[in-house]
Amino acid sequence: MTRNLMIGIGVGIVALLIVLANSLYVVDQTKQALVLYFGEPIRVVRTPGLKLKVPFIQNVVLYDNRVQGFDAPSEEVIAADQKRLVVDTYAQYKIVDPLQFYRSVGSDTIVRARLGATMSGSLRRSLGNIILATLLSDQRAKIMTEIRNDVKAQAVAFGIDVIDVRIKRADLPPENSQAIYARMQSEREREAKEFRAQGAELAQGIRARAERDRTVLLAEAQRNAQILRGQGDGESVKIYADAFGQDKDFFAFYRSMQAYQTGLPGSGTTMVLSPNSEFFRYFRSMTGAPPKTGTP
Amino acid sequence: MPWNGQGGGGGGGPWGNGPGPWARGPNGGNAPQSPNLDEILRRGQEWLRRFLPGGGAGPGGIVGIIVGVLVAIWAVTGLYRVLPDEQGIVLRFGAYEKTTQPGLNYHLPYPIETVFTPKVTRVNRTEIGLRTGGEGPAVARGPGTRDVPEEALMLTGDENIVDINFTVFWVIKDPKAYLFNIAAPEATVKAAAESAMRETVGRTPIASALAEGRRAIEVDTQKLLQYVLDSYGSGVEVTQVQLQKVDPPGPVIDAFRDVQRARTDQERARNEAEGYRNDILPRARGEAERITQEAEAYKQEIVARAQGDAQRFLSVLQTYKAAKDVTTERLYLETMEQILRSANKVLIDPAAQGAGQGVVPYLPLPDLTRRTTPPPAPANQANQSPSVPSLSPAGASTGGTTP
Repeated sequence: MTRNLMIGIGVGIVALLIVLANSLYVVDQTKQALVLYFGEPIRVVRTPGLKLKVPFIQNVVLYDNRVQGFDAPSEEVIAADQKRLVVDTYAQYKIVDPLQFYRSVGSDTIVRARLGATMSGSLRRSLGNIILATLLSDQRAKIMTEIRNDVKAQAVAFGIDVIDVRIKRADLPPENSQAIYARMQSEREREAKEFRAQGAELAQGIRARAERDRTVLLAEAQRNAQILRGQGDGESVKIYADAFGQDKDFFAFYRSMQAYQTGLPGSGTTMVLSPNSEFFRYFRSMTGAPPKTGTP
Repeated sequence: MPWNGQGGGGGGGPWGNGPGPWARGPNGGNAPQSPNLDEILRRGQEWLRRFLPGGGAGPGGIVGIIVGVLVAIWAVTGLYRVLPDEQGIVLRFGAYEKTTQPGLNYHLPYPIETVFTPKVTRVNRTEIGLRTGGEGPAVARGPGTRDVPEEALMLTGDENIVDINFTVFWVIKDPKAYLFNIAAPEATVKAAAESAMRETVGRTPIASALAEGRRAIEVDTQKLLQYVLDSYGSGVEVTQVQLQKVDPPGPVIDAFRDVQRARTDQERARNEAEGYRNDILPRARGEAERITQEAEAYKQEIVARAQGDAQRFLSVLQTYKAAKDVTTERLYLETMEQILRSANKVLIDPAAQGAGQGVVPYLPLPDLTRRTTPPPAPANQANQSPSVPSLSPAGASTGGTTP
């Protein structure tokens, strides 16, 4: 009797637990819920916490309500100036309308595929209108905003809000990179040559100026030297003239005497003399009188 | 891997690889010597006693004690510890309940409440363009690092390519936003950083990026990255963007280095030329000074000599005026004496030739020049009679005054 009662109570408790477990569900802070009634969505639960539902006939699908990232695969895009670019983009999106999301795409995998296609199309449209130089300028942010708005508008249909689409990489394909490397190399070589040539130019200039300075310096020194010598000569001439001018005859005599002495040095001079000369006048007479006969 | 920005960065992150939040409760219960623990146990026992009358005897009592112990253990799993560098985020049935500070805390046990403890003061590191093997200073590029060219090579504003490695340092500014607003914070930071860097570099010319523009790139990227992350509500604060390496790409790096070499070559050529200038100019100045001084010396010399000569002449002139004839005679004789003393002399008397012609003097001139050094003996003899001129043919000398 009591045993049956106990079993009955036990079964009841288990059944109650099962029902309770099926009617309670937790919506995490990072989630939002869509309540389905036999597969038909009937309401959206956006607030987190412990929630109730009708057991068994209603079930719940949980969707993330956080911002999610999506890395689109690399794409080769042709810009308006026919330059090819390898572009990597990523998007940040958030499920804002679980109902729409459930109806249109239903799963993360599918929404990513759809988003990827949308971004690719939008990217091609936007970049097809601009040249590469524009992308490498302040315009880049504007272009990204444009793409984002385009993708955002289309993604409303998936029940998601695209918060951002950004170009991660926008590089040239490898074969174009080679051309750029070649150009960079030639530019650097040009620069290096210019530096070296400028060095030579400077060096030549400095040397030439230095040599000029030297020549001028020496020439000016020579000029000054000649001027000084001339002054000296002039002064000495004047001194001589002043002194010797006082008695010209005596000067002639005196200077001749000096000249004889210095002009006819000690030995090595052979003189052929006549005893009739003035110097030998006492040879002839004690008085030194000139001879009465003979040649003078 | 506490300092590796790539994996498990949000240590307390709910979906990271680290110890999950569910394992956290029991761990928290291990906290030793906590007064709270005893108190809770005691309270639990009192609570149980109230519900189990009879003081514990009999089978019902045993079941009650077992249930009580289980409940107590369950209750204890709600203890958790928040480390000093963490904050606790408590969720009740998945909904945000409260934020707790470091220390020992309690939340209602699972499944009612759960807790996350993100590390809010730790600086996370996201590296782009390179992968480091592990720990170490941010700037060191040890053997553990390797480049990731597809991340590192980027286009500059003037359509050149530059090789950039950089690191983003960031902290969790708002743990709630960090946990609940973005699905993959690490990946988001990385993607946004890469995008921001490329945008910034994409409007910088390569010359600037390689040299003085580095700081500006860091600052601009940080600003842009912060703006982007804020727009996602990520709760992340970028503390620093650090450029590790900004180089020309491998294939052209030699050309860039050659430009550097060319610059130094230019400097060198200039220095050499200036060296040459510095070598010759002082010498030239010295030379010029020498020339000038020589001229000056000449001038002074010649003037001095002239003055001396003039003065000498004037002195002689003065005495000459006193006795003109005698002085003239004396000067003449002394001069002649001096000259004739050392000269070779040939005396030819025209009278000895008879009637004007006959003997033709023959002068062997070379012989005369050879005989220029006659023995001095006659001169010595002549010196013995100084006052009278010697008449010997070999030589004549007086000891008298010579001018």
